[in-house]
Formats: sequence, structure tokens, C-alpha cells
Amino acid sequence: MSDVVALDSISKSYDQKVAVHDLSLTIESGSMFGLLGPNGAGKTSSIRMIVGITMPDSGQVNLFGRRFHRDSLKRVGYLPEERGLYKKMVVMDQLIFMGQLRGLTESVATQRAKSWCDRFDILDSTSKKTEELSKGMQQKIQFISTIMHEPDFIIMDEPFSGLDPVNTSLLQDTLVELKNKGKAILFSTHRMDQVEKLCDTICLVNKGEAVLSGTMREVKSRYPRNRVVLQYEGSNAFLNFPGIADAKNYPGSAEIKLKPGASAQDLLHLAAAHATIYKFELAEPSLEEIFIETVGGRIDA
Amino acid sequence: MRNIFLIAKREFLERVRSKVFRVTTVLVPFGVLLVATGGNLVAKKAGGLSHLAIASNNAALATTMKEQLAASSHPPQSVQIVSPATPQARTQLTNELTAGKLDGFLWITGKPGQTRPDATYYTRNGSDLFSQSLLQNNLGRAALRQALISRGISPPEAQSLVKPIKITTLQLKSGQAVKTNVERSYMGIYALVVLLYGVVLIYGTNMARSIADEKSSRIFEVLLSSAPADNLMMGKLLGVGGSALLQVAIWIAITLAFAGTHLAAQIGVNGLSSLGINLAELVYFVVYFVLGFFLYSAFSAALGSTLNSSQEVQQFAFFIASPLIVSVMLMAYVMSHPNSLASTVLSLFPPFTPIIMYLRICSQTPPWWQIGLSIALLAGAIWGMIWIAARIYRIGILMYGKRPTLPEILRWLKYS
Repeated sequence: MSDVVALDSISKSYDQKVAVHDLSLTIESGSMFGLLGPNGAGKTSSIRMIVGITMPDSGQVNLFGRRFHRDSLKRVGYLPEERGLYKKMVVMDQLIFMGQLRGLTESVATQRAKSWCDRFDILDSTSKKTEELSKGMQQKIQFISTIMHEPDFIIMDEPFSGLDPVNTSLLQDTLVELKNKGKAILFSTHRMDQVEKLCDTICLVNKGEAVLSGTMREVKSRYPRNRVVLQYEGSNAFLNFPGIADAKNYPGSAEIKLKPGASAQDLLHLAAAHATIYKFELAEPSLEEIFIETVGGRIDA
Repeated sequence: MRNIFLIAKREFLERVRSKVFRVTTVLVPFGVLLVATGGNLVAKKAGGLSHLAIASNNAALATTMKEQLAASSHPPQSVQIVSPATPQARTQLTNELTAGKLDGFLWITGKPGQTRPDATYYTRNGSDLFSQSLLQNNLGRAALRQALISRGISPPEAQSLVKPIKITTLQLKSGQAVKTNVERSYMGIYALVVLLYGVVLIYGTNMARSIADEKSSRIFEVLLSSAPADNLMMGKLLGVGGSALLQVAIWIAITLAFAGTHLAAQIGVNGLSSLGINLAELVYFVVYFVLGFFLYSAFSAALGSTLNSSQEVQQFAFFIASPLIVSVMLMAYVMSHPNSLASTVLSLFPPFTPIIMYLRICSQTPPWWQIGLSIALLAGAIWGMIWIAARIYRIGILMYGKRPTLPEILRWLKYS
């Protein structure tokens, strides 16, 4: 394991607006890193500094153990949020062009584009213009164009937007596979469930500053295990349990927040007495709850 | 270098493979040809006073007038002489004119011995100024011939005395008097102006539009994370420029192929020489066209980088080409004072250089150092404009929403 990316207290302002303030983070090879935050928090500004579109006003970006240099970008794959393709260009030409731009020869680019398109089941569409394809297909093509030069560091900005569950899981599996091959992956999204499932390390930014960071375990262990998720059939009388601070009741399931010191075991006994329990889970707050709590519930999107 | 080439190739192929390119490549020369040929035929018809009658009591004057017209640049097909000019004759001529058998008749009156006759021209087309001046010109000469004869000059001598005198124009080029044809040498300049203006308008806005399009998608982020902005700009400029130059080359090839044909000879075009261009001027033509085109394209690129959508480009198309229009307005002055200080300074100002310097070269070759300096300045301006465009592109894309003001753009140039 080695540091693929190390941001050393970088800052960036545009005119009066501070986009990023004193942000530091490291991403190790073979790990998936979640960069989270509400819209306008500075995620994209940070990513742009990592890939050299802009330079930080202060602080330093290190890639692959040395100070930022354009040559390092050949080992980086960046998938911007949507629409990162030439609409009028034929899919195969587009993939070959992108591959060449990142240093592949034409023949290698062609061969890799074909094999990825085959794997993603879009080989039939490669002779069409990009604009003729569905949004999900375009996203797959963009995904291929990002990883076909086999970068050691992959940046994914909302990679699953516009994808159906089948394709989402196809891309997720691919990312996990790449991670297991030792690639570092930076994953920027609003989808907390995906982050929770995929990421080893996270950093939550708000108003340009890192407000929460560490491994998923570390972050979560800072919060008490006082969340109960319960799947049941029968009476919901257990919701009157005095130790409940807050509860959301859905058809067949309930999400409960316990008061400090309340016993989850007592709640389980009570519930089992009146209903059939299929699942009972005692957990830390979900990442989504942590997110909302940390950024103060004021989120633009 | 590799990135510049890749991007240039992509831009070039995207344009050359498009339907618009194929259609305009073929249609534009044929459209121009059609207009030129059609215009010429119409001009011939309109300018041709085909059937004319001349009525006068002075038969000798009428005959001389007929001779004059027959020898003019646009001789009528038939000239009928009516003498004497009686009221009945006038009624009949009026009827023939109304029936369309005549295009007009000239009614000449004058007492015997009067050297300057009075004349009235009857026509259905009151706005045919060309025929009127043709008649006026020749009637004056005919009357003069008659007057000379009546003073004892022999008729052939009288005829030759009234002929217009041809002036040969000699142009001093590097101290040597060279025979030139003023009208023709300016044809070359006008060709440059029209070509440059047209191509800048089409491909300049095309350049601006493609950049504005890239801004409205996120493709620029992918590109910028793979190549520096000035590489992108340079590649774009070369790709778009290459496709424009290819198209112009095809147009010129078609024009040249056509210029040798019989049809061309009919409308007064005869090979390259009819543009009044010699080989040296042709080289300058190409140099200034190419450099001028790239400067204006780089300017369009910078402008396109400040816009948010391709719709906005339309409003700025005129702005891009405005320095060209200013140079056209300056042409009259520079033609008459090709070596004045003002002309020299104007011709060294890069946006004006292509037209003004070429104009100076065609009228009175300026010193070598000025030509060299103008090319160097133009090349420098292109480089500078690409640098500015690249900066605006890189920063401008990060800013969405309202169009930036000029002070904001200047501030962008300072960001890294």
C-alpha cells in the first residue's frame, strides 16, 4: 500500500468565493475513497486541482509520490459528471481518440475499446453516433473511456447516474475488481448507500473544508450503536417502548433511534412478544444520517 | 505535439466528414458561377440596346450616329434611320415602340447649320442609364464629326479625331516600370477580401461554436485532464483551419479549372491572369490569407471561450469580422497613399495586415523589412491570441451562468 494521492493543505479561491480551504487527504493504492459533500462544497474544485485543470493557490498536490506533474496524468482516469463525450462522434472513434489522448497507440486503443464494449454488451452500438444512444449507454462508454488506458488512479464523479440497477451493479463490480487489482479509486457522489457499500475511506467536505474524514470504520465508531433496524410482521406495539427517542415506521419495517442508555435487548424482547421478527440489527447511524447531521441538514440537493 | 496532432485530426475529420462540408464544397463554387454567369447574361441583355431608330431631318448626322453606335462597345443589333422626321413618322415610331418592335428611338432636331442639335430619346425603360449614356456619348461625337467635315476636314480624319485616346498605366515596382491593368490588379485584392471575409465568417463562428459547445458539455474536463489548454487550442485551430483550407483549396481548384473554359471566356475571365495576380503576388496572397485566417480563428476561439452556448455565438459573428470590415473601409486611403506613414502603421497592425499589407504589395511594393515585420507580427499575434484563448478557455469553463464582463476576463488571464 502506498499513497497514490496526497493533498497537502490545498486552498483555492475564485474572486471572493473560497472554493477549497486547507484540504488535506491521502488515497492509498488498492482502496476506494469516498469524497462526499453537498453541492458546491468544493468536491469538483478539489478534483480539478488533482487533475491539473486548475492549480491550488496554496498547498501542494502530490501524485504517485511526487509533486504534481502533467506526466503523472497519463496514469489517471477522470470521469466527470455526465456529458463528457463528443455527441456527434461515432462511439468507436471516440474511444480510440480518448485512448490515444492518454497515450495508447491506435491499435492498442482499438483492441481495448472492443474488449470493454464486448464485456459491457454494447459492441453492437459502437458504430453509432454517441448522441443516438441512451443515457445509460453513454455513461458506460464514458466509463470505458476513463479506464481503458489502465490508470492507476481513477476518479469517478457520480459514475452511476442514469444507470439502471443491472448496469449499476455491472459498473460497481468492475470498480471493485479494479480496486482489488491495486488501483486507487476516488469516488465522488451524493449516494450515501453506495459510498457505505463501496468505500474504505471517506472525506466529507462542506463549504470547502474537510469536516469529517477517516476510514469508514473510524468514522462510524465515533457514533454510538443506537440505531435499530427491524423487519417484522404483526403488531407494531413495540414502538411504544419508553427507550425510543425517534422512530420511523414503514410497511413491514421500522427504523428506531434509541435514547442514551436504553437497552436494545429489552426492545427486542418486547417486539418478539407481539410480532414475528425477520431481522433485528443494532448499528451505528447510517452514513446518510451522519452526513445530514454534520452538514446541518441544509443540503441543496 | 502528439496531443496537438490528435486533437487537430479529430477536429479536421469531424468537419470534413460532415454533410455540410460536402454540400458547401460543391455548392458554393457553382453558386458563385451561376450568379456570375447569370449576372453577366442579364447585364448583356439589359445593357444591349437591341433595336433602335434614329429620326432626324439631317440624314448625314443620323448616318454618322449609326456608324458611331456600330463602332461602340455595345453595338445595337439594328439601327433604323428615319429621315425626314415628320409627325407621321413620329406616330409610327411611337406605335412600334409601344408594340415592342423598338427598344427606343432618338428624335434629333436642329435647324440647318446648327452644330449642336437637340435630341430626345423615347424609351419604355426610363431607368436604362447605360443606353442613355451610350447615346449621349456617341451623339456628341457624331455631331462633332459633322461639324469637322463641314469645316473642310476629310471624313476619315474627322472619324479618327473623335476617337477616345487610350491611356496605358505603368506601375513602378522596385524602380521598374511594369505594365499593369489597374482594374485587374484590384480584382486580386477583392478576391482576397471576399475569401478571407467569407472563410473567417464561416469557420471563425464554427470555431467559436464548437468551443461554446464543449463548454456546455463536460468534455473539456476530460480533455484538460489529458492535455494542457494551449495544446487543445492549437490542435483545434489547426484542425478547424485545415478543414477550412482544404475547402478553399477545392474551391480554388474548381475555379481554376473553370477559368480556362469557353464559358469563362464569355464572361471575361481568362485564367489566373484575369485576376491580375502574378506568381509573387500569389505567394503573398496565400501567406496573408493563411495567417489572417489563423489570427481571426484564434480570436474567435478566445471569444467562444467566454460564451456559454452556441446560440450566443451568432450575436458575435459580426464582431469577429469587424476588423476586416474596417480594413476594407481603409482600402481607398491606402490605395492612394500606399507608402504614407499611416498606411505603413496600419499595414503592420496584425488584424489589418492581411488586407492592407497585401494591398500595399500589389500597388507599390513596400520595403522588404516591412513585409517581413508584418509577417512576424502576424505570427506573434496568432501565438498571443492562442495563449489568451487557452487561458480564457481554462478559466472560463469553470464559471457558469452569466457572460463575463471585460474586467472579469482580464482578471481570468491572471489566474493560473
